[in-house]
Amino acid sequence: MTTLTTGTDTFSVFGTTATLLVSEPDMVEAARIIADEQLAAVDRACSRFRPDSELSRLNAANGAVTGVSDLFAELVEAALRAARLTDGAVDPTCGQALEEIGYDRDFAVLQADEQPRHRARPARRVPGWRSVQLDRKRLLAQLANGAQLDLGATAKAWAADRCAEVIAAKIGAGVLVSLGGDMAVAGPPPADGWRVRVTDDHAAGPEAPGQTVTIRTGGLATSSTTVRTWAVGGRRVHHIIDPATGEPAGSCWRTVSVAAGRCVDANTASTAAIIRGEAALPWLNEAGLPARLVRHDGSVETIAGWPHDPGPTEAA
Amino acid sequence: MRRNDVQFAAAARDDGIRKISKVTWRAGAAGVVCSALIAVAFGHHAAAQPQKGGDQGQGTIVIPAQPPAPAHGAGQVNSGAS
Repeated sequence: MTTLTTGTDTFSVFGTTATLLVSEPDMVEAARIIADEQLAAVDRACSRFRPDSELSRLNAANGAVTGVSDLFAELVEAALRAARLTDGAVDPTCGQALEEIGYDRDFAVLQADEQPRHRARPARRVPGWRSVQLDRKRLLAQLANGAQLDLGATAKAWAADRCAEVIAAKIGAGVLVSLGGDMAVAGPPPADGWRVRVTDDHAAGPEAPGQTVTIRTGGLATSSTTVRTWAVGGRRVHHIIDPATGEPAGSCWRTVSVAAGRCVDANTASTAAIIRGEAALPWLNEAGLPARLVRHDGSVETIAGWPHDPGPTEAA
Repeated sequence: MRRNDVQFAAAARDDGIRKISKVTWRAGAAGVVCSALIAVAFGHHAAAQPQKGGDQGQGTIVIPAQPPAPAHGAGQVNSGAS
């Protein structure tokens, strides 16, 4: 059995849970050291809740040209690429919109704060990813039109990819890195692949409602409107912002999981699918991205090679 | 002017117009081809810009080498939102 020959480590990072699975159990400690190093660097670069992060400095620069590290430039580039590939559905300039609906601190702190929250001003379209100027060569960045960056949609998935690549290269074993349910694999997988339970909430138990699949390469990510929610002005809101309105996306999908060549691509597609609603089905199909989409009534659509899942409606 | 001379002059004029017209068409066609080539070259260049420093597949979302396979029972890890 795979589980007997796989090492596991679970820990907290980025306000969520990380899991490392390593095909050589005695390599778990070495993998964790590498992961800690990589994740700390990403946190220093792009945490929205650290005043000393590069992202906070750029957001506070009032549109001035700001010098950035190579790592931060890579993260911004990944976010801009996601925006370009989704025609702006996944937009990194949602920082202000998130703050205006109360997501202005670490989510654990936000959840614990029971003070009633209200919008400071009406929602509006976000400034847009074209407001972000990045000079990769000279390592300079600039935000126009009052844009405030939030790299949450892509940075976590990008970090999973980076951790998996570096760990596999350094320890020579197969590895799965999951950061809050966004996962990347690298190196030789176990004989029967990595077994993943696809569900609404990454923190749910191993038997949570959903579907079990195996993956051997690339990345898998799930986006959902049911997790990371809080109350504003008497209604529940979530963190997936529709750039066109500046409001949490009112999607026909509750949860979308996508498999792709890399975790950052899987996350880009799953987030875009939530925002696109019904139009996500032909878009994912055309892109050839295996996906599982769950409607609010629990019915499931699987496309582009994702294994059939009867879902609770058919199974009942 | 004799009638033959008039006909000769008219034929020469028509022949000249045909030649000019042919040259104009060829120049126009060449211009269209050049424009298309330049557009393709610059279009490719523009799309390629963000690839600097990146990995493969910068211009498109990369599909997995293998789609997920069906499995039964519990997973080793959950993929869900956080």
